[in-house]
Amino acid sequence: MKKLFCLLLALCMVLSLAACGGSGSSGSSAPAAADGEEAPAASGDTLKIGVISPNTGNLAAYGTGIHTGAELAVEEINAAGGILGQQVELVELDDRADPTECLNAFNNLVSQGIGLIIGSATSGATSAITGPANEEEVVIIAPTATADSITTEDDYIFRVCYADSAQGAIAAAYAKTAGYDKVGIVYCTGDVYSSGLKDSFSAACAEQGIEVVATESSAALTTTEYTNQFTAMVNAGVDFVYAPYYYDVIGPYVIPQARAAGYDGVIMGADGYDTTPDYVREADAPVFNNIYWTNHYFAGDTSEKVTSFVKAYKDKFGSEPSAFGATGYDSVYVYKAAIEAAGSTEPSAVRDALADTSTVYECVSGTFSFDVSGTPVKGAPVITFKDNGDGTIGMELVDVVEATDLA
Amino acid sequence: MSTFIQTVIVGLRLGSVYALIALGYTMVYGIIRLINFAHGDFIMVGGYTIIFTVPLVLALGLPAWAAVLAAIAVCALVGMGTEIIAYRPVRKKGTNMSALITAIAMSLFLENLAQAIPAIGPNPKVANQIFAAGGFKIGSVTFEYTTVITIVISAVIMIVLYMFTQKTRLGRAMRCVSEDKSAATLMGINVNHTIILTFAIGSALAAVAALMYMAQYPRIYTTLGSDLGIKAFVSAVLGGIGIIPGAVLGGFVVGLFESFTTSYISSSLADAVVFLILIVVLLLKPAGIMGKNVGEKV
Repeated sequence: MKKLFCLLLALCMVLSLAACGGSGSSGSSAPAAADGEEAPAASGDTLKIGVISPNTGNLAAYGTGIHTGAELAVEEINAAGGILGQQVELVELDDRADPTECLNAFNNLVSQGIGLIIGSATSGATSAITGPANEEEVVIIAPTATADSITTEDDYIFRVCYADSAQGAIAAAYAKTAGYDKVGIVYCTGDVYSSGLKDSFSAACAEQGIEVVATESSAALTTTEYTNQFTAMVNAGVDFVYAPYYYDVIGPYVIPQARAAGYDGVIMGADGYDTTPDYVREADAPVFNNIYWTNHYFAGDTSEKVTSFVKAYKDKFGSEPSAFGATGYDSVYVYKAAIEAAGSTEPSAVRDALADTSTVYECVSGTFSFDVSGTPVKGAPVITFKDNGDGTIGMELVDVVEATDLA
Repeated sequence: MSTFIQTVIVGLRLGSVYALIALGYTMVYGIIRLINFAHGDFIMVGGYTIIFTVPLVLALGLPAWAAVLAAIAVCALVGMGTEIIAYRPVRKKGTNMSALITAIAMSLFLENLAQAIPAIGPNPKVANQIFAAGGFKIGSVTFEYTTVITIVISAVIMIVLYMFTQKTRLGRAMRCVSEDKSAATLMGINVNHTIILTFAIGSALAAVAALMYMAQYPRIYTTLGSDLGIKAFVSAVLGGIGIIPGAVLGGFVVGLFESFTTSYISSSLADAVVFLILIVVLLLKPAGIMGKNVGEKV
């Protein structure tokens, strides 16, 4: 018995050591604050903004982007004197891209008296907190939750990204201009994001007069086999397949298997393709061509806004910011503009300022104003992957679809 | 026709991975009647060990797959450690049910422990190229080397394991323990050593399964074990849990059904059909395809 107790004790110590190491690596105390006990001491002069993002789990790259982007914006704002003279402080929580965890994080923030929240990355997780946010009269700006339903049903929810219906329409518009009139779709039935994009893409295809001749699907995001789906695309004779998935499936599975199945045509995706090059086996790099995707911003953009953001981010974190970094950064600045317009940090006043559809926000992810529901009206860059020839993959801007092109 | 062959290949590819993992489940179940839910997580442990040792192995001038030797060692240690620290004390004190719950706890513990280690962390990792890329063509269909190797390896392991349990002294000891622990003790068999050996072999299989899995599906993440584990467990039950050739058969049946459903029925129904087959087989033959219905001895 004594022996067992010693063993258990040793195990506990190892665990606690490991946990310390874990939180140290992420810059600030982002994941560690999840238990709520480490909430920083309240001080009268700081404005607290909550950030909920998937900092751990399969989609951790998204969360990392969002909270680092937000941290950069806060650092800049604080250096320039804060918002309405108040220093800004971020309270960062992790939702592991899980709806239940997201709701827990939200309740935690509300119980701390925080009324302005940025979050979360995925539509699935964010949809769990839109209703409660409206009830609690807490403002939410979602950096990258693109499902249409996120902002349509509630007054307190805004976002800095376009909705999936716009994103699907952009892809369809691109297919049209590139001259494809027969297309195929491969998507995941078990995921809101993927099936939402599939719906909006097929609706936009119907409007554009593009025929969807083959639709195949996978049951869950954990599926590893996509060969049969792309064999079906080859048999259907299509040269353009819309495959809205996330980077962790696209890089290691979808693209290499599609090419191995003999499908050489265009594969088009959405913002979930961001950060894919980090998840590709060196030997698979040569098959990464003829792939296009829509994103929130392009890091190689030459506009002053983007170049200064990319430079500041690189100086602070040592890597190129993902689109999630850009939208996390933008979320903070949209709050700043709205708070200054309202002259108050009260959530209801900030909400009213955000609801003004005539305000134009100049952001890294484009210049936009909100529509009635709280979704930006903006276009998107279309980006392509290209094999660098040395086992790495680069990106190139192909086209920018403007908001006016879609009307 | 080429679609048909392609479908068969995909089915065999999925099935060979399930079969390798199912062997580990069946091995442990056969000896101590415990469904080791942590087996899937041993694969995760093996996978990360391979990822971290491949650069080392390459630096030594060995082929990448040699990293599996390190993984076998680590997995066997983790498996034996799990048995000594968690399963054995619980088995002594409690019932089969508490051992089962301990196995689930062990699985969650390993997943979360892995996430807490900074070098592993929550982000998925992409595996290195393990076998030479490419394959050979028959007609218009490409057989990838990796797939062929996986199928051959699972067949070889199945035969070796079967011979081991049937023909060797240790294997006989294992079968004795599986039939009656106290009688085995009376016959001079060290039950605890036999069980530890079983765990070592079962976990070493997990390392091989990790290698073959990563060769085909080059992504690894901390919760990989639970995702893979379910299908492999289903394979083991379908073939007849505790029966070594049954696990391999079950794996290929599950893989082929999954692939054919995707190609010919509906791609989103693949999982539904697999579990439907499980229910049908269990209704018709409760002990699994290769299982024998043995009446309770009184």
